[in-house]
Amino acid sequence: MNNPEKTESKAPVGEAKLPLIDRTDLGLTVVILTISGILYWLTMDFEKVADLFAQDVPPEFFPRLLIWTIVILTLGLPFEHLLLKRRGQSLTKERADRIEPMAYFTAALLFAVVASILLLGTSLSMVAVCMALPLLWGERRLKAILLFAIILPLLVTLLFSVVLGVHFEPGIFNVNMR
Amino acid sequence: MEPVIQGLTLILDPFNIGLIFAGVVIGVAVGALPGLSSPMAVALLLPFTITLDPVPAICMMAALYCAGTFGGSITAILINAPGAPPAAATALDGYPMAKRGEAGRALGLAAVSSVMGGIFSLVVFLFAAPLLADIALEFRPPEYFALTVFALSMLASISGKSSLRNLIAGAFGVLLGTAGIHLTTGVERFTFGFYELTEGISFVPVLIGLFALGELLGQSQALNVTYERITSVVVKLPSMADFRKVGMTILRSSGIGTFIGILPAEGATVAAIMGYNEAKRWSKNKEEFGHGALEGIAGPEAANNAATGGAMVPTLALGIPGSGTTAIILAALIMHGFRPGPYLMQETPHFLYAIFGAMLMANFMFLGIGLAGAKLFSRITLIPRQFLWPSVFVFSMVGAYSFASSIFDIWVMFIAGVLGFLMKRHGFGPAPLVMGLILGKLVEESLSQSMIMFDNNWFQFFDSPIVVFFFVVTLLGLFWPVVRMVFNKLFNRQTEPS
Repeated sequence: MNNPEKTESKAPVGEAKLPLIDRTDLGLTVVILTISGILYWLTMDFEKVADLFAQDVPPEFFPRLLIWTIVILTLGLPFEHLLLKRRGQSLTKERADRIEPMAYFTAALLFAVVASILLLGTSLSMVAVCMALPLLWGERRLKAILLFAIILPLLVTLLFSVVLGVHFEPGIFNVNMR
Repeated sequence: MEPVIQGLTLILDPFNIGLIFAGVVIGVAVGALPGLSSPMAVALLLPFTITLDPVPAICMMAALYCAGTFGGSITAILINAPGAPPAAATALDGYPMAKRGEAGRALGLAAVSSVMGGIFSLVVFLFAAPLLADIALEFRPPEYFALTVFALSMLASISGKSSLRNLIAGAFGVLLGTAGIHLTTGVERFTFGFYELTEGISFVPVLIGLFALGELLGQSQALNVTYERITSVVVKLPSMADFRKVGMTILRSSGIGTFIGILPAEGATVAAIMGYNEAKRWSKNKEEFGHGALEGIAGPEAANNAATGGAMVPTLALGIPGSGTTAIILAALIMHGFRPGPYLMQETPHFLYAIFGAMLMANFMFLGIGLAGAKLFSRITLIPRQFLWPSVFVFSMVGAYSFASSIFDIWVMFIAGVLGFLMKRHGFGPAPLVMGLILGKLVEESLSQSMIMFDNNWFQFFDSPIVVFFFVVTLLGLFWPVVRMVFNKLFNRQTEPS
């Protein structure tokens, strides 16, 4: 039978034994390798050119070199936590908490704003984001939000559209300050 | 002498002085705001500066870069929340000093140390950049390829925990840079049928997305964070006794910061950490560190600001960015039609002196603004996140759009932002990806030209001693942790008593 006291005395003080492979990083490795695989597959679809024309440097040469570099580097990811641990560092803490729902809601709101620029036009999209984002993030002073949603887009439109001459999308309501 | 006069005359134009002043004010404000950073501000400024002449545009960005590095120290000292990563080391001793009622003394010392570090590095920049450019004139494509590989390998030691992740991000950035039409053959690569991608991925939306939108998504998870604030602030310049105590620390840290800045890819954060460590190592009062040591403020502040001038050396002389922010300045130079590197120095030497003058002016401006307005700048952290970050998104959206008036670019910004957020969560910094993206074209061009020159014979790379030097330094840099580990193990084994 093992003597537990004897086993404990061999382990370094204050150091928990780490698994050989970090599961989160293993998942990340799979994602990166999959993306690399897809990109490599895309390089096989590049138009073929004669060697003479390509001067021995075909268009797929450099991207493939990079993809292989990424693949080789990525293979070290699942074991990297062991090296970090030696230096007293860890990435686990930052990734322990799940992504807050607010981050998803924010991303979804911004996606909706970007998707509606053609419809609303640039100026109205700015108004929309200036109203919706503070509301989403818990701001309830409606007068302040309203003031903010009018003044900021107005100033930005004046600076970019009128002063710098940038063409802003007018949208279906044809809102254009120029 | 003529280029010096020409360069300085350019920046003495009242409009340009106004732009430099605006850059300094924006820089200090952005630096002071936790979450906002100088790379983000420079990225957001990029579309605006495209409408300006190249000299004022780059001078404004350079001024913002200097001031942003200093701005972070205000909130590091007053609220223990470094506005920018380079100021993190300043908080270690600045905040304890502020807590014991010496906030003004700490701020004064931080401002003066920053200015001294900045001026030291600018003098080095003035002499080193032309010298380096002269050497680089001898570089052919193989040497350039080796240099860019070395620069990319330096990403391993850029700030952040994981060297491996930095290298992967850098390689991915270079890969992104290959999208578009292949220069030698005209073949379309990774365009996915979008004509907007035929000329490659535009830098502006990617930079804005990674630095601004990625941070915005991160901030959406920290809406309830509050800071304890030191309110009674009367800024004091350091006394002669203080100077005597920290003089050598400032000088040493300025040297360290400038050297770190000159190294490709290394920036102010690494410089500040090294400045702090060295200040502690050389100090006679090590026990004071962490409890409000003067050297603990002077060391990192002199080093992080010295890194700004240092980082401009490889950026302008070689076309290799010295830091994340200079990578964006490099992108601005390219967008203004310049090819940064030795020829820029040869053809437009006045440009160097204009940037030198602008950065020098910025250093004195932020000394004044920082000393007079520290209390005001610390109050900008009171701006509710609910209004601050929507403003950042509005500027990001318009900034990404305005460069080419293209909604496609807003989508690129959005995707880059989400990618930046996810990358950051898993320990991949945005700076290595940006540097890879910006260096991508140069790496591929120099490699292709070399392969054509060598008739596809890789071994001919080793005919050039410069190439061999860069490759050896690259390998040493990449495998140094392994070499050190093996060496330590062997050494320890030998010294262990039998």
